[in-house]
Amino acid sequence: MTTSHGPALELDALTKTFNENRAADGVSLTVPRGAMLGLVGPNGAGKTTSLSMAVGLLRPDSGTARVLGVDVWTDPVRAKRHLGVLPDGLSLPERLTAGELLDYWGRLRGLERDLTRTRAEELLRVLELDRAERDGVLVAEYSTGMRKKIGLATALLHAPEVLVLDEPYEAVDPVSARVLTAILRRFTDGGGTVIISSHVMALVEQLTDRVAIIAQGRVLADGTLEQVRGADSTLEDTFVRLVGAREIGEGDLAWLSS
Amino acid sequence: MVELLIKLKFALDRHTPSGTRWLTLALVVGGAALTWYLALNAASDAVRSSLLTLLFTLWAGVWMFAPTLTNGAGVLRPQYFTLLPLDRNRVGVGLLATMFVGVGPVMTLVAMGALVWHSWSADPATLFLGLLGTLALVVFIVSLSRLVFRALGAAMRTRVGMEIASLQWGLIVAGLFFGWVAIQPAIAATDELAARGVEGTAASVLAVLPTSWPVLAVDAAAAGSWGAAFGWLGAFVLLTVVTVVITGRLLAPSVAVRGMRQRSRPWGSRVLEHRGSWLPDTPLGAVIGKELRSWWRDPWRGFELRSALWAGLFVGVLGLISYLPQIAPFAGVIALLIMGMGASNMYGHDGTALWMTVLGQGEDTVRADVRGRQVAVAVLLVPASALLSTVMVFATGEFWAVPYVVAALIAFAGVSNGLSVLLSVVAVAPGTDPHKRVDANDTGDHSFQSWVSLVAIPLLSSPTLLTAAVTMTAGASWVTVPVALLNGGLVAWLLGSLTIRHLERRLPEVFARIRYGGEVAVRSAPAPEGTMLERIERGTLERERESASHE
Ligand SMILES: Nc1ncnc2c1ncn2[C@@H]1O[C@H](COP(=O)(O)OP(=O)(O)OP(=O)(O)O)[C@@H](O)[C@H]1O
Ligand SMILES: [Mg+2]
Repeated sequence: MTTSHGPALELDALTKTFNENRAADGVSLTVPRGAMLGLVGPNGAGKTTSLSMAVGLLRPDSGTARVLGVDVWTDPVRAKRHLGVLPDGLSLPERLTAGELLDYWGRLRGLERDLTRTRAEELLRVLELDRAERDGVLVAEYSTGMRKKIGLATALLHAPEVLVLDEPYEAVDPVSARVLTAILRRFTDGGGTVIISSHVMALVEQLTDRVAIIAQGRVLADGTLEQVRGADSTLEDTFVRLVGAREIGEGDLAWLSS
Repeated sequence: MVELLIKLKFALDRHTPSGTRWLTLALVVGGAALTWYLALNAASDAVRSSLLTLLFTLWAGVWMFAPTLTNGAGVLRPQYFTLLPLDRNRVGVGLLATMFVGVGPVMTLVAMGALVWHSWSADPATLFLGLLGTLALVVFIVSLSRLVFRALGAAMRTRVGMEIASLQWGLIVAGLFFGWVAIQPAIAATDELAARGVEGTAASVLAVLPTSWPVLAVDAAAAGSWGAAFGWLGAFVLLTVVTVVITGRLLAPSVAVRGMRQRSRPWGSRVLEHRGSWLPDTPLGAVIGKELRSWWRDPWRGFELRSALWAGLFVGVLGLISYLPQIAPFAGVIALLIMGMGASNMYGHDGTALWMTVLGQGEDTVRADVRGRQVAVAVLLVPASALLSTVMVFATGEFWAVPYVVAALIAFAGVSNGLSVLLSVVAVAPGTDPHKRVDANDTGDHSFQSWVSLVAIPLLSSPTLLTAAVTMTAGASWVTVPVALLNGGLVAWLLGSLTIRHLERRLPEVFARIRYGGEVAVRSAPAPEGTMLERIERGTLERERESASHE
């Protein structure tokens, strides 16, 4: 039941202050349907905060977000149905195995039992978690990369139309990263929309068609890769130009080489 | 290094909430005063000797369990030092040394000094035994205290360890419960105690406990058998050294993996292979399944459940073998009440995993989440506690109690069930996030919930309690059961509904409180509508912020 109007995801002047500290300051972004947007910015720029507000995890001080035209904060139930989310650094029901976790998640979202089962099996196989599942390994015992992967499986299970992934490539091995890229490509080819945050410029440049640069809670640049890059040769140059380079001076940290 | 660690400890102490500090101070000063009062007023050397064995045991007991009860505030945790390039074992010993600094150990030294007085008045020639014994006692008791605390934390990493720890903890809770019943007449009769000392079985039990050995050494020397004296003291010093070494080892920062490693597939985990399932294919079924598995497998939750069961069992057994057999049939009721309190921080146990409920939010998810937790808790608590009481009724033959036990089980099962889910939401205390937990105290501190429960459960069960009181005298005791059914059922349903209404409106705020802490949750909350629950929630938030600003 896709709504017919509105872009896939729209962040509308999202603002959040944490104890005197502006984590997000009027963040506005529009992600058209079928696009893949890379959100980049230095540590503490407000990426996680903005994405949390956009998906309904953190109530903004002001501003709002819309998924396929549905307001996340006034009609959360309908908006969240379209969303698949990979949050960063949160716990899961730690004492379940991956299979149990997906079974729980499927039922909670009202999916058919058999549908959940076939999808879960496929996801675990593709993400190479099937061995851990056979051994009955609990999520609590997973490595950092494995946690990312099971988080990804939960984001995909209900076949959402919009994926919001906070640092999906972090801690994931190169082979799995390729699998992930293939999954995301297939997803957008099928008309889905993806927004990912990342620190790896080369990856963002190679993967996404749109980029937004955010620093100190403000959007500094937003548009297609070509628009944002402009005259610069790489995205990294643009990033450094906009965010401001911090060079190490001649005398700094001299003791390191002594 | 030790000096530095001690400074660090003082810094931490300053940030311990002052209430806890004053309570500790009152406890140790009062304890030392009582110890000396009895030592000075004992009618004879023999009486004093028996009194000292009792008092030293009590001191050791309090030291062993106080740190766990007070959540170990002001304690330097070994994990703080994992990454420093220091010898692990030296850090362990250094940390142990910091334990001897502070009012507690000093007042303990003062109290143990009663042994010096004992040796002086028994025979001045034994004075050096008294001095040595006093020092060894302090070292032993303080090290033992750390040993128990760390062992409890370490135990959480293995299944067997968790089972043993809950057994011990259950014994302690039962001991506290019963100790109170037993100690009350003792305190009322302090002067009599000073005149007669400890007699009978209690005296012979006390005599074999290690804390009594230094006293026995002094007694033996005073009686002229120096060989026995050196034997007792030598054994005690040896035990002390062993305790210190083990504790030093345990306090060394550990880099072991967190959580319990499963040896085999956990029970009930073949969801993807099995076709059928006995749980409904709905959000409610999803939550019940997840909750039952978590209660069963999570060592922290398992600990709450099992220690409550053990506590009930031991209360029953103690009742059975002492002069209070009429208490035994209520063992299940006691277990149920303690388990109910253990379940009153469920959202805290889950930590930030609540994001799944927030993002999976459908028309019915919140209702399913709350009701599912209630069902799971009931499924876990009711059969176990009913079984416990049934066994106890047959063991004691106190059949008159049956209607009251049944009524109490039903009423309290309902009332504590509703109350625990409500408190789990409005007073959520997250503690360390689940995927980072290592220590026994890493789940949030739910002492607030326990205090509220102690007041609210009798209040909410008053229809049943009143009926029971009336039928006690007027007969027709079975009338209590339907009243309890109505009482318990209604309260469980009503408090559950209140929780659902509250959570439906404030799901993101509850998540924010777990994820970002109280400060952010307060600011991002929409204007409070002033319902009672919101006021309670706000109250607990204020409390949380206050203790956070102490840190
Ligand atoms: N729990 C919190 N309490 C107070 N401030 C916070 C909290 N979490 C984050 N912040 C602040 O919000 C700002 C934005 O943080 P955020 O996590 O959104 O950054 P980020 O862009 O995701 O960074 P990173 O690349 O390191 O993940 C930072 O200044 C941070 O200090
Ligand atoms: Mg982030």
